[in-house]
Amino acid sequence: MSAIAPQKLVEAESVVAGYLPGVDILTGCSLSLAVGEIVGVIGPNGAGKSTLLKAMFGLVAVRSGVVRLSGDDVTNLAANALVERGVGYVPQRENVFPSLSIEENLRMGLYLRPHAWTERFDVVTGLFPLLAERRRQRAGSLSGGERQMVAMARALMMDPTVLFLDEPSAGLSPIFQEQVFERIQQINAAGVSVVMVEQNATRCLEISHRAYVLDQGRDAYTGTGDELLGDPKVTELYLGTLAARRL
Amino acid sequence: MADGLRLGLVLAVASVGLSLIFGVTGLTNFAHGELVTFGALVAYFLSASGVVPEIPLVAAGILAVVAGAGFGWAHETILFRPLRRRKSGNVSLIVVTIGLGLFLRNAYLILFGGRPRPFDEFTIQTAVDLGPVSLRPKDLVVMAVGACALLGVGLMLQRTRLGRGMRAVADSRDLAAASGIDVDRVILAVWVGGAALAALGGVLQGVSETVETDMGFGLLLLMFASVILGGLGTAYGAMVGGVLIGLASQVSTYWLSPKYRIGVALAVLIGAILVRPQGILGRRERVG
Repeated sequence: MSAIAPQKLVEAESVVAGYLPGVDILTGCSLSLAVGEIVGVIGPNGAGKSTLLKAMFGLVAVRSGVVRLSGDDVTNLAANALVERGVGYVPQRENVFPSLSIEENLRMGLYLRPHAWTERFDVVTGLFPLLAERRRQRAGSLSGGERQMVAMARALMMDPTVLFLDEPSAGLSPIFQEQVFERIQQINAAGVSVVMVEQNATRCLEISHRAYVLDQGRDAYTGTGDELLGDPKVTELYLGTLAARRL
Repeated sequence: MADGLRLGLVLAVASVGLSLIFGVTGLTNFAHGELVTFGALVAYFLSASGVVPEIPLVAAGILAVVAGAGFGWAHETILFRPLRRRKSGNVSLIVVTIGLGLFLRNAYLILFGGRPRPFDEFTIQTAVDLGPVSLRPKDLVVMAVGACALLGVGLMLQRTRLGRGMRAVADSRDLAAASGIDVDRVILAVWVGGAALAALGGVLQGVSETVETDMGFGLLLLMFASVILGGLGTAYGAMVGGVLIGLASQVSTYWLSPKYRIGVALAVLIGAILVRPQGILGRRERVG
């Protein structure tokens, strides 16, 4: 896919962040997302991909650097405040409320706008029809793939302009993985810009307008999905680091 | 049996807050018993102490529950929220609650004295026969109020936005925040509601028995047993666990000395979790 007209929706500039005092996972990472884009983030384990999403979403403290949303500085703004501003987030693990039913999970996604329930439920279950049929089922009893659908649907309930997806295909069977990637393209086609962290690098680059390759807490390479797919340096860095870690 | 049900309902009311607070914050509150005592002491102070113009016990009980809610608000805003923000570990927080409980018990002792005291109203009543059981009217009222309180909590958790929010935060705080829920506000609501219920439990226990400065501490082990038996962190579990523990401990006094009451309750707990480690209403989650 080719890059589209840049109107910056999300910008992260030289972000430094981490979990333990004195240990930085991100060491100066930058990323931008334009309106209508799917931006992929790939890289070896431990590169800081998930941490980048969490830092942009206010779940990990940013120690230095800036995060902007539509030009406004939202660095270290709480996650619930970012949801109000139109950002949705789907975590890799613990992506549903297991003791709540599917319907209650979706209601939680609309916690800030409960009066829009009927309208948003119809829209979201239009994308995920199975969820309407099984709305009374407890989310903790669902398979990994079904949970991922509930998680994406929950994040879409607030009608976000941006969606952060953390490894949406992790742990899923190939069939479910393909369904997830198709849904992401549908969601994007409906007007939602997407930042997607993925382990399935090839498939991620295929559906991304642009992508970043992270290594050791920094954005090492960036380009269109096609460019990065054909770049031998990316393959070398991505596979090389992984190979070195396996030794 | 009927007395066991009475104790069980009081335990269930008092334990719900303990379980909810554990569910949403991961905090094991060893000072929860002092929230129970607080309710009974405030009701006694307003209705029978003579220090202030006395008001009827029912009104004093309602004000005690309101005061208990305020005490829970103070716990969260003055102590536990700042500690959470400083990323204090669980063990540190447990030690804080043990210290807080010790402090409050001794403060109550200084202010109230060590002598058990009954409320002025409803003290001496004749039991009435209800089929195979005989109960004092005040115990019937205690059971009815306890059952209504539990029903109200159940409906709130199941039907209201705040109640679903509490269950969501108990499932995952990060995901709740990612859904737009103000997690700190929900935790504050749990502290306020949980402490109010503990205070109500104290008032009900004071009505059935007497008011003492360590009455909540005396119930603490039974409350922990209730919460674990029902399923840690689940409000409904605490309700079921409370009733079962109350029944088991009280029914055992038919055969055993009352001093073995807590031992019997803990034996029931151990037996139950050997069979069902997640507790009666705790759920195992599907993986994959």
